Amino acid sequence: MAAPVISKRIHKSQFAVYDERGRKIKLAKRGKKLSRSTGGTIALFLFIGLFAVFMALPMVLTISNAFKPLDELFYFPPRFMVRNPTLSNFSDLFILLQQSWVPFSRYFLNSLIITGFGTLGHLLIASAAAYPLAKNRFPGSQFLMSMVILSLMFSPVVTGIPNFLILSQLNMINTQWALIVPAFAASLGLYLMKQFMEQVPDSLVESARMDGCREIGIWWRIVMPNVKPAWLTLVILMFQALWANTGGVVIHSEELRPLTFAMNMLAGGGIARAGTGAAVMFITMIVPVTFFVISQSRIVETMATSGMKE
Amino acid sequence: MENEKKPKRKGLSLRGRQTVSGYLFIAPWLIGITFFFLYNIIEAWRYSFNILVMEEGKRNFTWVGLDNYYFIFREHTTFFVEMFESIFQMVINVPLIIFFALFMAILLNRQFMGRGLVRAIFFLPVIMASAAIADTIEMSFGMIFGGVNFIPPEVMREQTGFNVGSIIMLLANFQIPPQVVEFIVEAIANLHEIIRSAGVQILIFLAALQSIPPSMYEVAQIEGATGYETFWKITIPMVSPLIITNVVYTVVDTYANSDVVETARDMYVMENNFGASSAMSLSTALLVCLVLFAICWLISRRVFYYD
Repeated sequence: MAAPVISKRIHKSQFAVYDERGRKIKLAKRGKKLSRSTGGTIALFLFIGLFAVFMALPMVLTISNAFKPLDELFYFPPRFMVRNPTLSNFSDLFILLQQSWVPFSRYFLNSLIITGFGTLGHLLIASAAAYPLAKNRFPGSQFLMSMVILSLMFSPVVTGIPNFLILSQLNMINTQWALIVPAFAASLGLYLMKQFMEQVPDSLVESARMDGCREIGIWWRIVMPNVKPAWLTLVILMFQALWANTGGVVIHSEELRPLTFAMNMLAGGGIARAGTGAAVMFITMIVPVTFFVISQSRIVETMATSGMKE
Repeated sequence: MENEKKPKRKGLSLRGRQTVSGYLFIAPWLIGITFFFLYNIIEAWRYSFNILVMEEGKRNFTWVGLDNYYFIFREHTTFFVEMFESIFQMVINVPLIIFFALFMAILLNRQFMGRGLVRAIFFLPVIMASAAIADTIEMSFGMIFGGVNFIPPEVMREQTGFNVGSIIMLLANFQIPPQVVEFIVEAIANLHEIIRSAGVQILIFLAALQSIPPSMYEVAQIEGATGYETFWKITIPMVSPLIITNVVYTVVDTYANSDVVETARDMYVMENNFGASSAMSLSTALLVCLVLFAICWLISRRVFYYD
């Protein structure tokens, strides 16, 4: 693919290897580092760049719209980039939010409560349930796994009525628990954690068991640290799903609604509110993106320091 | 959760203790799934044999037997066709999404400047799937490919921004059988959709790649394995359990966004026909489950579990 990097290449004659009968073993014809060649790297960069541009366009448009003055938002034919960036959209949004009778901070706190408790609870419950399913064989475990997959199949809209009924029987309607508790029982996280936990060597679990570690200790101190990439991924997914939730029919008190609901209301304000709407989109998007970038960098840090040793 | 240090046995065998502790671990989730899934399914099953009328404070059931099923399969104009089209679409999309996601994950797992940003960019579609922002995306694509901003999102969803016609002509000129052409055209028309719906899968594959012990690659390198061999003998076997996870996720995701679910939803929201809606979702969910189990069975024979 590209010119070989001669200085880094070790000539194979320096490392001739012989088997027990004295015959020379043929070595692979490369001494350079794995999967590194300048031309290939450039090609890959171009490839990633092409897709990245393709994917980033909506984000760039959202950002540039948020800073466009009103006349540029309605300019025809539309322009992609902002010419005269302004913060007036955000100040409009701020004034609008101050006028609403539920303060902005209340919406934000609601979102934080729902997303925080929901994500944390789901992570703990799903990974606790995943541990025995992945590492212990016991009667009924196969059946439970089939149920997990089956339960992934039913879209929440279709089971809307029974779901509402059960929530009302549990007295959870119009409380934030109506969004938090169903998130606990979601099966996607369980499935994900189980698949990752199966990768943890049995010998590691057994040695802990022999040293007298309790099951709960094995789960929390042995298995969980080893699947850190998995649960950070799960945290990202759950955060994003719960953050986008508007509360729908299960919360109808204005002061309990999450931020996304307030933002959607503002964004749906029609032509007169187009500027505010653009600012709203920017804000609703930027929170999950920031969260994603932070969690992703944590994943990389973890794996740089931990490595399984056997 | 017995204390295993005591030499005296407490009456339960190892298997018995594992069962007990297993169920203790699963208990919280099991309670949740009973309330929020099993109950829902049983109710939906019941609705599908009834005509349900909502009145103030109560639900009125009228038993109609299999009438709802007869209605959706024999009388409803689009449901039967949509069901099979959705599943066909799914069978085409799943391998494409999986390959694309694995490929991108491997690329994004390499060390380069701004890696975090690029990863975030690929996760954007998932973040932006919320309805408030989805329309902006459609508009921006309309802007780039169509040059006109104010095309309604409904129209844009029908178009993919690619000139499919010229590709069909080209392939037909090469005497390629129409079935193959159809498959390729479908694939190209779905490209946009595939790239957009691969975000979570890329993330899962990235986590899988990062879980591979670096020592394995070191050994391979010392033993003189080529990059190609390393990929097939280390990377693929080590991520293979997660290929199944991703297949399951992709099938669920594609199904949740398919036309047939949309039809069931309309039945429920627009026409308040809860019985037919439940019947639709139950029958399609069962069919999709069958497809899913078939795919998983095919793949799981080749999956490698590290131990």
